Amino acid sequence: MTIEKEGLSTAESLRKTRTYGKFRCHNPTCMERIQPEKGKKTAKCPTCGMEYRVHWVNPKLPRIRGPVWDVNRKLAEAKLKELGVT
Amino acid sequence: MPLDRKIAYIDLTTGDIQTKPIPLDVRKKFLGGRGLDAYLLYNHTKKGCDPIGPNNTLMVSGGILTATCASATARTHVMAKSPLTGLLGSANMGGFFAPEMAWAGFHHLVIKGKAKHPVYIYIHNGEIEIRDARDIWGKSVTDSQWALREDLGDQEVKSLVCGPAGENLVRFANVMTGIKNSGGRSGMGCVLGSKNLKAVSVRGTMDIKIARPKEALEYNKRFIDQIVSAKVNQTQGALGTPFIWGATNSWGGIRCRNFQYNQCEYADDIEPERIDEICEETMGPYHMTGCFGCQVHCRAQYKIPEGPYAGVYDEGPEYTSQGAFGGETDTPRAITVLTGNHLVDKYGMDNLETGSLISWAMELYELGIITSKETDGLDLRFGNDEAVIEMIDRIAFRKGWLGDTLAEGGIPASEKIGKNSFDYLIQVKGMSNLHSDERATPGLALNIATGSRGSDHLRSRPAIDLYHLPEPVLRKIYSNPVPYDGPLSSEHTEYIGKPWQVFWQENCYMGVDCLGICKYHTTFLGATLPNFEDWSKVIYYNTGLEMTPEEIWDVAVRCNMIERLFNLREGLTRDDLKKGDMLNHRYFDEPCRRGAIDVVGKKIDKEKFIKMIDEFYEHKGLDKNGVPTPERLKKLGLNKEPSHLL
Repeated sequence: MTIEKEGLSTAESLRKTRTYGKFRCHNPTCMERIQPEKGKKTAKCPTCGMEYRVHWVNPKLPRIRGPVWDVNRKLAEAKLKELGVT
Repeated sequence: MPLDRKIAYIDLTTGDIQTKPIPLDVRKKFLGGRGLDAYLLYNHTKKGCDPIGPNNTLMVSGGILTATCASATARTHVMAKSPLTGLLGSANMGGFFAPEMAWAGFHHLVIKGKAKHPVYIYIHNGEIEIRDARDIWGKSVTDSQWALREDLGDQEVKSLVCGPAGENLVRFANVMTGIKNSGGRSGMGCVLGSKNLKAVSVRGTMDIKIARPKEALEYNKRFIDQIVSAKVNQTQGALGTPFIWGATNSWGGIRCRNFQYNQCEYADDIEPERIDEICEETMGPYHMTGCFGCQVHCRAQYKIPEGPYAGVYDEGPEYTSQGAFGGETDTPRAITVLTGNHLVDKYGMDNLETGSLISWAMELYELGIITSKETDGLDLRFGNDEAVIEMIDRIAFRKGWLGDTLAEGGIPASEKIGKNSFDYLIQVKGMSNLHSDERATPGLALNIATGSRGSDHLRSRPAIDLYHLPEPVLRKIYSNPVPYDGPLSSEHTEYIGKPWQVFWQENCYMGVDCLGICKYHTTFLGATLPNFEDWSKVIYYNTGLEMTPEEIWDVAVRCNMIERLFNLREGLTRDDLKKGDMLNHRYFDEPCRRGAIDVVGKKIDKEKFIKMIDEFYEHKGLDKNGVPTPERLKKLGLNKEPSHLL
């Protein structure tokens, strides 16, 4: 059996796909990779216009803290209007 | 030899106690933990038994790897028929209990009957006794554990307890260990209360034999490196699980105002970064801690900063409390989340169910379906922080008409409230949905609809679907250890390929629950975390049991099927809104109103959703009605169940 084979498992082999210093836009049909400026507290998606507040877990690991609320609401309401949702 | 582990049968009615070794052939079929518990439940519980009667059987277990050299084998599993749903009851928690139980000589307990008065079970180095707990009955979760240590004269005793909610037969009471390690969902604490069983206490210094200790330790280094290098675990180690709620709220995947909105706006005060600040302010910079053998340290510690409970210590809050007492009730204030979290820990009550039912009642109140008559004058509008805290108390102690009604669980409460209240209840199989909103994510919607213990994210959620992983990466993950050449899509708003992902995740989570490992150490939130291939090695080095990744997959499929058999025996039917694999109509009728631009307007397409269920059933080997085919049962060796091997 293959148990003692020393090769990498699938999960281990996927480590090389990890990216650092970037996150993906949270808009599902966009998902653009955004690279915020080091230490910056906000970032805007160049593709879809979503704006995010940024938290740095460590100097190499930024994460989206949340959307910029006012921009988020404005975009959502415009989309609802476009869809005719009351 | 390694794996010479034992099971104990304890009858609380007669006081009879028996112990047995767990045969190797049973291990090979069900491994341990949740999988073996599912086998035991199906074999030891009769169809239609009263979940709060003496004939309900309660299982407590560790996984096959518990207390070995493997990493993060902290999980304790508890199973019985659920007093909340009348179907499968199952709860899994971290902490230190299961390893201590293993060192005390047992990996599985089967508890039957009902004691004449409150008792607790004490297990110590192979010995088991039933002791008087009348002086401990009525105490909070933490006070009970201190009292048990006092009674036994040993500060190292670990106890699994029910709190006041369990004693009061709140249908969604938790079993708890430590301060906040919660065996939540499905009411296992209520089962303890119904048996007059206050606690199971354990203390052990016996050895766990390791098959190949050198290799086990060597391999564990690799395993740990894989765990701690993952970005998701680095984030968890810094911010704890609240980061999950924060990220989900960011794009619009959480419930707010019961189910009216899919995002809690301007929620800065309960975002993980703010919670972390409070933890640091009240507990200092080293406020993160962890469970047995875990390097992630995702559990925060805090003191309530203000209000009537100012200065009280607790742990968490987990993301579930942010959702339950912040988002759903539209009270996005840290003080409410931290206080609510503390109260459910103290009373031993499920935060998700509690918050969901309070937010449901709030919507009913605003719609005029219930009035101040039912609330005994409480102003139950959304956003009322005091009302949220007050309702937690009322439910735990069944105070007032509404507290007592909600303590029975959502479906019985809707039947008592009447009118069209059920239409607003966001549940599956009688269990309230967690704090998430799946209208934009069909794969996640399928997961909650078909989860074996009800609407739940920990049984089959393809959470990595949210990461927009490239198709070749998805294929690498989801074509292993069994081949899959069907479609897969990186788009999480799509329907294509999701049934397979849900099926794969269902087996992955069953695998990890059989091993007794934390889900944060597998393909749950991180795409690069260990699964079947890695487990094959860990099992072998630690226990000597040779199993290929494919064989572990087969065990998981088998164990999921026996859970399905149990649910079918207890009345699950495919489209039943109360006991089936179906979602509330609001998923199909009401579009998302907030969130990222392309989440706005999303709802689940019912026709496509039904097709997904059909496909999911095919993967599982079920017919169109959700019943297993004889061929699949035979293939899994389940065609003669119940087989009473153990």
